[in-house]
Amino acid sequence: METEQKEKDSQRLQLILDLMRFRGQLHAVDAFLWLFIMGLPAVPGLIVREFFNILTADATLGWNVYSVLGLWIALVTVNVGVIFAGRHTKTQHRFAISALVRRNMLDALMQRPAAEPLQNQNGQVTNVGEVISYLRDDGRQIEDQLQFLPELNGIGVFAVFSFIILLTVNWQVTVFIFIPLLVIVGVVQWTWNRIQKLRHDGRQATQKVTGFIGEMFSTVQAIQVAGATESVLRHFRAANDLRRKTMVRDELFSAILGAVFRNIVTIGTGIMLLLLALRADLTLTVGDFALFVYFLGFIGEFLAFFGLFMAFIRQTDVAFDRLTSLAPERQPRFLTESKPMYFNTLLWQRVDLPPIEQPQRDPVKQLNLLEVNDLTYLHPDSGRGVKDTNFTLRRGELLVITGSIGSGKTTLLRTLQGMLTPQSGTIRWNGQIVKDPKVFFVPPRSAFVPQVPMLFSDTLRNNILLGLGRDDETVLNAIYTAVFDQDVRDFPAGLDTQVGSRGTRLSGGQVQRTAAARMLVRRPDLLIFDDLSSALDVVTEGQLWARIFENKEGWRPACLVVSHRPALLRRADQIIVMGDGQVRAQGRLDELLAHNAEIQHIWGQDQNAE
Amino acid sequence: MTVALLGGITLQLIHPQVLARFIDVAVADATADALLNLALMYIGVALGEQVLRVVSVYAASSVGWTATNALRADLAAHCMSLDLAFHKTRTPGELIERVDGDVTTLSRFFSQFIIIILGNGLLLVGVVIALFFVHPLAGVGGLVFTVAALLLMLRLRNIAVPYFRDYRQQAADFYGFAGEQLTGREDINANGAHGFFLRRLFEINQAWMLVYHKARLASTTLWASTDATFALGSVLALTIGALLFQGDLISIGMVFLIFNYFSQLARPITQIREEIELFQQADASIQRIRELLDTESRLDAGGETRIPDGAFALVFDKVSFHYDDPDSDEERDWALRDIDFELPAGETLGLLGRTGSGKSTTARLLLRLYDPQRGEIRLNNVPLRESPLTDLRQRVGLVTQDVQIFEASVRDNITFFDDRIPDRQVIEAFALLGLTSWFETLPNGLDTPLGSDGRGLSAGEAQLVAFARVFLKQPGLIILDEASSRLDPLTERLIEQAVDRLLEGRTGIIIAHRLATVQRTDRIMVLENGHVVEYGKRAELAQTPDSRFSALLRAGQMDLLA
Repeated sequence: METEQKEKDSQRLQLILDLMRFRGQLHAVDAFLWLFIMGLPAVPGLIVREFFNILTADATLGWNVYSVLGLWIALVTVNVGVIFAGRHTKTQHRFAISALVRRNMLDALMQRPAAEPLQNQNGQVTNVGEVISYLRDDGRQIEDQLQFLPELNGIGVFAVFSFIILLTVNWQVTVFIFIPLLVIVGVVQWTWNRIQKLRHDGRQATQKVTGFIGEMFSTVQAIQVAGATESVLRHFRAANDLRRKTMVRDELFSAILGAVFRNIVTIGTGIMLLLLALRADLTLTVGDFALFVYFLGFIGEFLAFFGLFMAFIRQTDVAFDRLTSLAPERQPRFLTESKPMYFNTLLWQRVDLPPIEQPQRDPVKQLNLLEVNDLTYLHPDSGRGVKDTNFTLRRGELLVITGSIGSGKTTLLRTLQGMLTPQSGTIRWNGQIVKDPKVFFVPPRSAFVPQVPMLFSDTLRNNILLGLGRDDETVLNAIYTAVFDQDVRDFPAGLDTQVGSRGTRLSGGQVQRTAAARMLVRRPDLLIFDDLSSALDVVTEGQLWARIFENKEGWRPACLVVSHRPALLRRADQIIVMGDGQVRAQGRLDELLAHNAEIQHIWGQDQNAE
Repeated sequence: MTVALLGGITLQLIHPQVLARFIDVAVADATADALLNLALMYIGVALGEQVLRVVSVYAASSVGWTATNALRADLAAHCMSLDLAFHKTRTPGELIERVDGDVTTLSRFFSQFIIIILGNGLLLVGVVIALFFVHPLAGVGGLVFTVAALLLMLRLRNIAVPYFRDYRQQAADFYGFAGEQLTGREDINANGAHGFFLRRLFEINQAWMLVYHKARLASTTLWASTDATFALGSVLALTIGALLFQGDLISIGMVFLIFNYFSQLARPITQIREEIELFQQADASIQRIRELLDTESRLDAGGETRIPDGAFALVFDKVSFHYDDPDSDEERDWALRDIDFELPAGETLGLLGRTGSGKSTTARLLLRLYDPQRGEIRLNNVPLRESPLTDLRQRVGLVTQDVQIFEASVRDNITFFDDRIPDRQVIEAFALLGLTSWFETLPNGLDTPLGSDGRGLSAGEAQLVAFARVFLKQPGLIILDEASSRLDPLTERLIEQAVDRLLEGRTGIIIAHRLATVQRTDRIMVLENGHVVEYGKRAELAQTPDSRFSALLRAGQMDLLA
C-alpha cells in the first residue's frame, strides 16, 4: 500500500516535471511574474504598519503619512503592469499545457490498433463521446494543476517573507503559526482517499453523460425513426441526475475542506492575538499590531491555499490515471512527452506549419510476394475471428475472399493490416517478416476501403487527398477510376464540395466511391477492398474493376478483395472461401465449383437462371 | 440559502468591530478577561461564517446542477426533434460541447450569480452604513468609492463577451474534429493520413489560442482595474483616517476600523468582479444556447389527427421531392418526381431500382424525415402532416440496411432505454419473430453488451435486433430495406421467417435485393431516376413478357436492378 503510494507520487511528480520542462522558459517567466502578482499585496502590510506608527508617533523611519501613501500608489501602478504581463504569459502557458496533453492523448489513441475498441481504466469499452470528456475535463485539471504551482509559489515566497518579518517583531508568538499548518497537513492526509474517490465518481458520471450525448446524436436517425425520443431522453435525464448527485457531493466536500482550512487559520490567528494581548511584558505598537493582523491574514491565505493544493494534487492524480489508462500499452509519460506544437508566438504571430509528411516509395520494397502464414485473431469477448489463415499473393494478382456473413472476412483484412493485433502467425513482404503490420500496411505499400468508409467534414478534395500532395488532375483521374466522375461533374462545387459531418450529404454509394478514389490516388502496391457490393450496383462495380485492371500507366497493384460478385470471382486468380473463421477452400473458380458446396451455393444464387 | 446569506453578511460586519474593540481595549490596558472574551468572539464569528458558507455552497451547487440538468435535457430534446438537415451538418462531438460544455459554463452562474451579487451587494451597503456610524466623512468616502468601483465594472462588463463566444465555438470545433478523427481511425490509418490530421490540429490550436488570448486579455482589463481601484480605496481610507485622527475626531482603533472596513469593501467588489467575468463567459454560452434553441426544425410537429388503427392503406398523391433546399419549389434535381400510387391495407410492395433511383427517399418521406415539396402522402386517408409526428413514427416501422446500434446492452438497444418495457415483452418479441434460438446464443442474454460499430454482431444479426425494435412498436406499416450483403444460410433463414411474422396483418414495403424476397410481395414497383417506370400486381407483371420485372425474373439477377 505504502510503496504503491510512493510509486504513484513519484510518477505524478515525473509527469508534472515533464510538463514544467515543456515550455520551461515560458513557465519560468510566468512563475516569476506570478511571484509579484501574488506577493505584491504583502508589501502594503509594511506601509500600513508605518502609517499607524507615524500616527501614534512610534515611527523611526522619518516618513510622513502622505509620502507613505504615495508610495502605495506607486506600488499600484507596478501591480497593474505585472498583472497584464502575468495574465498574458499565463494564457499562453495554460493553453500550451492542455493542448500538449490533448495532442499526446489523441496521438496515442490514433496509434492503437484501429479496429480494437477504445477501453477505459476498468477495461470497459469507451465511446467517442466519453473520450471527449477525458480530453476536455481531465485535460483541464492538468492545466489547472500546472498553474497552481507558480501561484502557490508566489504566495509562499511572500508568506515566508511575512513570517520572517513577524519573527523579528515577536518570535515567541510567531512560531505558533506552525500549529495551523500541521493541522491542515493532517486533515489533507486524513481525507486523501475520500477526495480522490469523490472526484473519480464525479468524472465517471460526467463521462457517462457526454458519452450518452454522443451516442444519442450518432444514432439520431434511428431514434427519430423509431419515435423513441421520449425514452432515450428519459435515460439521458437519469444519467444527468446521477451526475448531479456525485458532483454536488464533490463540490460540497471541497467547500467543507476549504472551510475547515480557513477555520483552522482563523482560530490560529485568534489564539495568536490572544497571546499577544496577554503578554503583559510585550510592548507592541498599534502599527505592529496592524502588521500582525495584515500578515497573519496573508500567511493564513497561504496555508488555506496550501491545503487546497494538496487536495488538488489528489484530484490531478485521478486525471492522470484516467488519461493514461486509455493507452494501457504505453508508459504513462507518453502523456507529457514534449512535441513540436507550432503555437503562435507570445506576440500572437502565427508560426508556419511544416509540410505534411509524404509517403516515400522504395523501389526495392515494391511488392512482389505477400505471404501470410497461420494468421490468427480471435475476438476476446466472442471467441470469433480468424484462425490459422494461410495465403500468398503476387504482384498484379487478384485474390477474392468470399464466404457468408460472420465467417471472418473483415477480421482477416483487419488483422493483416494490424488494425487488430495478430495473436499468432507471420506475414512476409517479399520474404521479409513484417514486424508491426499496423505501421507497415500504409501507403505507398497498401491502402484500404472499409465496408462502411468514413468521410470527414471537409471538401471532397481534402477527403480524397487527406494531405497527400497531388494536383487536381491526379485527383480527377482517381475519381474516374473509382467511377465517381459522373457524380462529381454534377456537383456545382466540384472538388470543393463540402462533404458534411460523417459524409452524410453523399449517398452510400458515393461515399464508397470517394473512399475508393482516396485509395486509388495513393497508387499503392496492394489494394484492399472490403465488400463494395453493399452500396454499389453491379454495373457500377463492374466498371470500377475494369478501370482498375485496365489502367494505362502500367500500375499493376495486387488486389485483396472481399466480394461475392460472380464477375469478380470469375476474374480472380485465386479465391478463398471462409467459414467460421477458417479457410474452407482455396483455388480458382472452376476448381472450387467442382468440389465446394459453399461456393456452389453462392454461385448458384446469382446464376440460377443461366 | 437566504438565511445563510444574511447570517454571513452580519457576521462579516461584526468581524472588524471585534478587532477594533480589541485594539482599543488592549491600548487601554484592559484585563485579560475582556481580551479573552473578545478573542473568543472573534473565533466564534469566524466559525459561524464558515459554516454558513458551506451551507450556501451546498444549496448553490444543488440548485445549479438541477437547473443546468434541466437545460441539458431541454437542449437534447430540442436537438433530437430537429430534422436530419440539421444533424447532417453537426458532428456528435460538436453537439456534446454545445449540449454539455456550454451549459456547464452556466452551472456556476445559475447557482451562485444571483446569490453572490445579491449577497455582496448587501454586504457593500452594510459596510457603507457601518462607516457612516464611525464618522460621516468615512461614510461619504466609502460611498463614493463603492459607487465609483461598481460603475467602472459596469462599464467594462461586456468587454470580453464576444471573445468568449468565439472561444466556445473554437472549443466545439476542436471536439467535433477530435470525435471525427477517433471515429475514422481505420480510414486514417489505412491511408496513412496522420500527417493531415496533425496539421489540422495545429491549425485549430493556432486559431483557438488566439481567441483564448483575446478573451483573457479583455477580462484581465477588468481584473487589473478592480485591483487598482481597491488599493486606491485603502489609500483613501487611510487618508480619511489620518485626517480625522489628527483632528482628534476619532480614536486610533477607529482609524483601524475604517481601514478594515474599506478592506472589507474589496472582497465583495472582487467577488462581484469574478462573477461578472464568469457572467461574460456564461453570456457567450447563453447566446450560443439560445441560437441552438432558435434553430427550428423544418418539420412541424404534425396535426392532431390520429391515423386509424389496423394495417395502413397507403396513398402517394403526385409526390415530388428534392433535397437541395427543402423549402423551395424551384425546378431542380428531383429525387422523386410525380410519384402516384396506392397500396391497399395489408398488402406488400416490392420496391426495385438501381442505386440512387429514389427507393430510400421514398422510405424517408413515409417517416417524415423530410416533407415533399409537392403532393401528399396519406395513411388510412390521413395526410402525414396531419398526424402527430411522434405518433406517426411510433406506428411506421423502418428497418434499414445499416442498423444503428448503441453502445449498450441488447435490452437497451431494443427498447431504446425505455425501462418501462419488461424483459418478458422483449423475450416474447423474439419468440414471436422466431428468434428464440438465436437469442439463446447470446452469452449474457438481454444484458449482452453491443458495440456502436456493431461489435459482436454481424450485419444480419443487427437486422434481427432492428426487427425486434420494430416489432415492439406494433406498427401499421413496415418498411424494410433488405440487407444486400450475402448472409449465411442460417441468418438468412432467420430473417426470412422474421420478415414473414413481421408482415403478418400489416402493410409492407420491401426494398428488395433478393429474388426470394420479391416473390413474397403482392405488388412490384420499379423506380428509375425518381420516376415510377413500372407498377402493378406481381403476378400480372411476371406474366407480361415485355415488363421489366419479367425480364428481371428471366435474368435471375436481382443485382441488375437493386
